[in-house]
Amino acid sequence: MSSDVVVDIQGLTKRFGPRTVFEDISFQVHRSEVVAVIGPSGAGKSTFIRCINYLHPFEAGRIRVLDHELVGGGGPPSKATLRQIRMQVGMAFQTFNLFPHLTALGNVMLGPMETKRVPASEARDKAMALLTSVGLADRAEAYPRRLSGGEQQRVAICRALAMDPEVMLFDEPTSMLDPEMVGEVLGTIRGLAAQGMTLILVTHEMQFAKEVADTVVVMADGRVVETGPARDVLEHPTSERSRTFLTRVLKPLEAAGDGQASGPGATTALGGDHP
Amino acid sequence: MHVVALYWQAIVDGGGVDLELTAIAVAVSVVVGILAAVGRIYGGKLLGGAITVYVEIIRGLPPILQLFIIYFGLSQFQINLSSFSAGLLWLVLYGVGYAVEIFRAGIEAVSVGQREAADALGLTRVQALRRIILPQAWMVMLPSLMTFLVLQVKNTTLLYLVGIADIMYQARLGTSATEQPAIMYGMAAIAYLIINLTLSRIGSTLERRQALYR
Amino acid sequence: MSTLQLWGQYLPQFLAGLVVSLQLTGAALVLALALGTLLVLARTGRIRILAAIATGYVEVFRAVPVLVLLFTAYYSLAQLGLRLPGFWAGVVALGAFYGTLYGEDMRSGLQSVDPGQREAAVALGLSNGAVMRRVVLPQAFLAFLPPGTNELSNLIKDTSLVLTIGVTDLMFQANAAAAATFQPMDMFLLAGLVYFAFYILLSRILARWELNVQRRRS
Repeated sequence: MSSDVVVDIQGLTKRFGPRTVFEDISFQVHRSEVVAVIGPSGAGKSTFIRCINYLHPFEAGRIRVLDHELVGGGGPPSKATLRQIRMQVGMAFQTFNLFPHLTALGNVMLGPMETKRVPASEARDKAMALLTSVGLADRAEAYPRRLSGGEQQRVAICRALAMDPEVMLFDEPTSMLDPEMVGEVLGTIRGLAAQGMTLILVTHEMQFAKEVADTVVVMADGRVVETGPARDVLEHPTSERSRTFLTRVLKPLEAAGDGQASGPGATTALGGDHP
Repeated sequence: MHVVALYWQAIVDGGGVDLELTAIAVAVSVVVGILAAVGRIYGGKLLGGAITVYVEIIRGLPPILQLFIIYFGLSQFQINLSSFSAGLLWLVLYGVGYAVEIFRAGIEAVSVGQREAADALGLTRVQALRRIILPQAWMVMLPSLMTFLVLQVKNTTLLYLVGIADIMYQARLGTSATEQPAIMYGMAAIAYLIINLTLSRIGSTLERRQALYR
Repeated sequence: MSTLQLWGQYLPQFLAGLVVSLQLTGAALVLALALGTLLVLARTGRIRILAAIATGYVEVFRAVPVLVLLFTAYYSLAQLGLRLPGFWAGVVALGAFYGTLYGEDMRSGLQSVDPGQREAAVALGLSNGAVMRRVVLPQAFLAFLPPGTNELSNLIKDTSLVLTIGVTDLMFQANAAAAATFQPMDMFLLAGLVYFAFYILLSRILARWELNVQRRRS
């Protein structure tokens, strides 16, 4: 079992000054597993996922990504460890964070060229292949501000994939998107899951989590209140805290009826976008 | 150090002249500047264009050259201005050129929605400007107005060239009498430092106070 | 003599003066950019004492008029044993002052870059140097250009101050010609035309360049 663990998180604790953002978070992510982290806003989900690639330092606990380990509390990890981890962990942001001075293609080429010294022609071929796989081949020369939100997020995913990561992190990848663009991005993520990519995603799309995730982690008040197979947790939550959260999120969805409620879920049909 | 005691009073007197000229020039150029900014924005092609050209000329020519044109240049046509009038006239002409741009930027920074809301209320253009736009523009303009004030104080250093007894004039006089430029220009630097740092301090206090109202 | 004849007679001298003004501008610009870079590094760096010194330097040198700096560089330093030629006194004074302005422009350029950009670059595994070189600086440069070019056209105008210490720049030539011909307005107008032509030329070129950089990126 331990041999195919990609990410191993033990006792992770994060404080901002006197305030504890979350504490004692532990779980493992196996190869090809899709983990959805859900929970009310302010639960520290975004901070948590940023600890995995050490965009935020943490005060206690440890994170192991394959052969490399980050330990909280002691000083910052060595540059080599950080480099290795960041090359193996890809990330897509809520606000996309595409580099505005580079074209879509330039954004996707940058990582491999800078960190792996991949020749430009090779990086270009790979970037084109990735953009093609998400249906953006014709937008390769466009600058970010000319792209729609959904297109920007798909480029951002390609930028991360160009590094051949072992695991992909998604920090609320669709929450800044207009509703009609959510589907195309979720379609891309669904495609990654189908290909066997290991994914950790913070999301508010419950329907999507139920369909695509293997495991759901519910965070509330700075703790993990429930973990388990997606369907079980979402349909029959055992902890009181996750039950109140889930009723609050799912109620309006069910009340709205099929058409609206399954908006993101209904986009399963949008398979054309898949790599 | 004896030199410092001897000349400090002269430097302070020079500072008084500098401040007086700056105050008059800034007051006049702010009033004219607001009118010219409104003229530039709402005044149509001819007036707006003329004001733009004026601003470009003031911004395009070295200050020293502008001053020399007024004081020496005009004398070619038997227009002999006194040192004080020439100095003041230049500070005003120069100041207007800068103030126009400051007010234009401030007025244009107020959002279109504000103007539309004022129009919807039935306010006239002058009312909208006085009640809605300028009060909001004020906040945006405050930092550049303070920079403008400091710039004008610095510009007074040129006035010794036409014989106005400002700080620089006194410092040069003192230098030729004592042959101690390090002390004399050091004193001048300190005098300007005190004036300008005080002005910027007042400016940031005002900004903080204004921020409270928002 | 008619004004035009006078202009024709003095134009070569004026152009020679313009060359001096431009050399002065170039040298002062190099010094100011170098100083500005050092100030930014010191102010954003971790060594507290250096940051305090840089902040103090900026406060003081921004508040003292350039002409005072010029006289200090030319007369005061000479009294203290460092005798600079007029040209270099001008370079030092202008560079010392414009360095503070360029430093501030660079700093706000850097601050204008969204923190998410740095985060995204770090997440890609880029080294600190690459984050700066490939992601932060190209964007900061775009924000730096408009105030930076504005500062440059002010710098050119301020070189005229060296007239007061006898450097034979354009303004000096105009002043000398005004005294020699007793037709000061004619001579100052010619100088004005040269300065203004250069100002327009430069601001158009710089504006076009800015536009190009911006356009290439959208």
